[in-house]
Amino acid sequence: MMHRAMMTVCRAMALVGGLVLIALITLVCVSIMGRALNGVLHGMGDFALAKTLLNLGIGPVTGDFELVEAGMAFAIFAFLPLCQITGAHASVDIFTSKLPPWGLRVLKAAIEVLFATVLIIIALQLYEGTQSKMRSGQTTFLLQFPIWWAYLASLFAASLAALVACYMVVLRFWAVLTADESLLETDAQ
Amino acid sequence: MTPLEIGAWSFPALLVLIFLRVPIGLAMFSTGFVGLYLVTGSTNLALARLKSESFTTFSNYSLSIVPMFLLMGYFATVGGMSQALFKAAEGFLGHRRGGVAMAAVGACAGFGAICGSSLATAATMGRTALPELRRYGYSGGFSTATLAAGGTLGILIPPSVILVIYAILTEQNIAKLFLAALAPGLLAAAGYMLTISIYVRLYPNAAGTKPAVPWAQRFDALWRVWPVLMVFLTVVGGIYGGIFTPTEGAAVGAMGTALIALNKGGLSGRVLTEGLLSTAKTTGFIFFIVLGAAFYNGFLALTRVPQELSAFVVEQGFAPMVVLCLILVFYLIFGCLMDSLSMILLTVPIFFPVISALDFGMTTEHVAIWFGILVLIVVEVGLITPPVGMNLFIINAMDKTTSMIETYKSVLFFVASDIVRVIILVAFPGITLFLIAP
Amino acid sequence: QDVTLNLHQFLPAQANVPKLILDVWADAIEADSDGRIQINRFPSMQLGGVPPELMDQAIDGVADIIWTVVGYTPGRFPRTEVFELPFFVSDAAAASSAYWQMYERHMRDTEFRDVHVLGTWVHGPGVIHSQAPITAPEDMTGVKARGASRMVNQLLGELGATPVGMPVPAIPEALSKGVVDAVTIPWEVTGGLKVPELVSNHTEFEGNMLYTLTFVLAMNPDSYAALPDDLKAVVDANSGLEFSVNAGRIQQDADAPARAVAVARGNTITTITDPSDWVAKTAPIYTAWIAEMEAKGIDGQALIDEAKALMAAHGN
Ligand code: NA
Ligand code: NA
Repeated sequence: MMHRAMMTVCRAMALVGGLVLIALITLVCVSIMGRALNGVLHGMGDFALAKTLLNLGIGPVTGDFELVEAGMAFAIFAFLPLCQITGAHASVDIFTSKLPPWGLRVLKAAIEVLFATVLIIIALQLYEGTQSKMRSGQTTFLLQFPIWWAYLASLFAASLAALVACYMVVLRFWAVLTADESLLETDAQ
Repeated sequence: MTPLEIGAWSFPALLVLIFLRVPIGLAMFSTGFVGLYLVTGSTNLALARLKSESFTTFSNYSLSIVPMFLLMGYFATVGGMSQALFKAAEGFLGHRRGGVAMAAVGACAGFGAICGSSLATAATMGRTALPELRRYGYSGGFSTATLAAGGTLGILIPPSVILVIYAILTEQNIAKLFLAALAPGLLAAAGYMLTISIYVRLYPNAAGTKPAVPWAQRFDALWRVWPVLMVFLTVVGGIYGGIFTPTEGAAVGAMGTALIALNKGGLSGRVLTEGLLSTAKTTGFIFFIVLGAAFYNGFLALTRVPQELSAFVVEQGFAPMVVLCLILVFYLIFGCLMDSLSMILLTVPIFFPVISALDFGMTTEHVAIWFGILVLIVVEVGLITPPVGMNLFIINAMDKTTSMIETYKSVLFFVASDIVRVIILVAFPGITLFLIAP
Repeated sequence: QDVTLNLHQFLPAQANVPKLILDVWADAIEADSDGRIQINRFPSMQLGGVPPELMDQAIDGVADIIWTVVGYTPGRFPRTEVFELPFFVSDAAAASSAYWQMYERHMRDTEFRDVHVLGTWVHGPGVIHSQAPITAPEDMTGVKARGASRMVNQLLGELGATPVGMPVPAIPEALSKGVVDAVTIPWEVTGGLKVPELVSNHTEFEGNMLYTLTFVLAMNPDSYAALPDDLKAVVDANSGLEFSVNAGRIQQDADAPARAVAVARGNTITTITDPSDWVAKTAPIYTAWIAEMEAKGIDGQALIDEAKALMAAHGN
């Protein structure tokens, strides 16, 4: 029950990140079309019309670079909880495959503890970074929106990733104690 | 311990962690973190770096091609485009043993050339071509190894970002470097084709064959792939023609394949959800590796191991050819642990003045260009040499039915082909230089 | 040695600023301290991160010393922007002198309070390097142009171009892949970045500079405080007004050889002798900037007047 709820939260977070990804793809395509349209007019020497279109907002999207950067950071942080709960991270199992099942379970629990520690550190330091960017008032180049907005969105997703990692630690230790791995056999593909 | 010793010890530490099944990104990150603690005596530096480094790594504009191309690959699959492409390739090459794998290597090279990143190439081809190769009866290890190796070819095909960086660091002409990369690039492709045909002779069960298809049917299959060819041509043409950046090209490709899939009725809400989730998992683990590598590389630079080791090689006063070979071996080893760009930025400024001062019986410019191409190739080989190779990790992680050891075994054939090629290029500089010779 | 300091910056080691300014400065400190200070140099962002993070790296102690373009962190150092106004500066040494003096008066305890500043300077005249020739402001319409700072991007916007913001190491890739059609940088950096190979047109201005950028060489305050007094004195003696003025002069002097490379390649160089059209088009930036400064509680007009007076007084 608990596991299904956690899985739903992780999938929802990944989907939000995925929707941001689709939004960025759309934004980039719109920007390219605007640029192409304006470029054609400019090439024909019609500066006045090109300028008018630009004023109407038909042209490349201002700050598309920085929107992609800000949005992508959030999207990738939003993907991490799902990676964590499905064990999607890449690892090498050539030596450990010979371990007895209980040994492998202990090893996996230890690794999960390390992972949770690292994700907690990442989230905590991102919190520090968000605060520092908030204090400094740094903005982006073109749209000049405060850079901490993007940090805050990422922090939200990074915190969830850390939380999920802690939950996974509990599951792994449960597996060590009971030898019951049913919850961990998720769709890793 | 001195920082230098800490840096040197970090290599075995990293290897142990990786073989203990610690996820690659996590292993690199932890080694870097502990290393920084040992070097500075406190966790302040490591923690301070993390205030912004996770965010800036994930927000890297050039790397945003990875999720976009992955999504494109997914749409191409659900819209039947990947299958159609492989059907067409099968028509022409399927009756030859290993033919479809050869087509996949070609696709990897073409794709790597446009996106400029071996990592993104490996990920995208793993998404699109891996299931197809498996469907055509190719063994798991052979399929993953073929795609991992194919992914390294793109770096020799312009516009290669790393070649541009090398040109800047060594003040060489970019156009000449691009030209010089041409013959070695073709040699590499030929070498891989040869490797595949040898491999399928040694292990006939590793690849399936289909009966030959009549020509009419071949062209019919080709005709069916025109929508996806249009998308591909738009992406490639747009990037080469300077109409858009690789990232923008990736967005156009994702949008184009999505529209085709939608038109074919293959893109329901449920399918889209699945696509986003699978893209999320792959993107997540790739970026965690990138973050770990960036963090580890910063630590390694601080210990000055790459710089000091390069300086040491240089001070020994060996014969020119010995120095060159030592440097290439050095790159091969470090290529296992560091990403290509960091390694070039750290070491080329040290090696280059030495190499250009040695007498190879050529002009300084020729030595510079020859050396650049060799370094580029060796660095990329590092991505597929066992035990630690980024391309191997990424592709293998995409096929849960194939164990790492199978991938390792098969990829050795491609590594052998790479090493033979490097030896040929070292022995005959003319292969690299004949196009730019006055 | 007693102290090892890490100097982190974004250009490759053989670029003009590292070679002619930073290395010379670091070597002088190493020599003057009789080798008790060692300065390890990390070019090309080798210690990790991206150029806009350099300032925070100095504040947080990721590096002991950093050199950066102030404009990479928009919104944080508003007073420095006075020197980035279009057609405002005519000589890099004079502007660097004014910049240091105004840093001491107005910026030390405000925007730069979190770092120990060692030097402040500006580069030589900003030049437009483009694929297509640019001879009049109209030619900028719709051109994707790279600018290094908020102020330069505003300038490009006023001229009708589509500004794209990116740090200088990203330029060759952006030009070779058509991400941008034009870049704005001084001559001095074009050589290292291969710009004359990637574009064939250059547009420069007689008289006042189209724009310039402000730089800062800054140190982590704790790293500075940890130095014994005699070593602090060594660092102080090599830093400050004289160092800043020299750095500005050296950087502007490095323009000529780089320009000669473009000439030798046969590239087209357009010199705008009468920039009045350009000045008129970019004039709104002054009023907008003064209003922005007012909103931050800063008297922009007073900064403009003071900078003008200090630049005029330089060398007299
Ligand atoms: Na390439
Ligand atoms: Na390797």
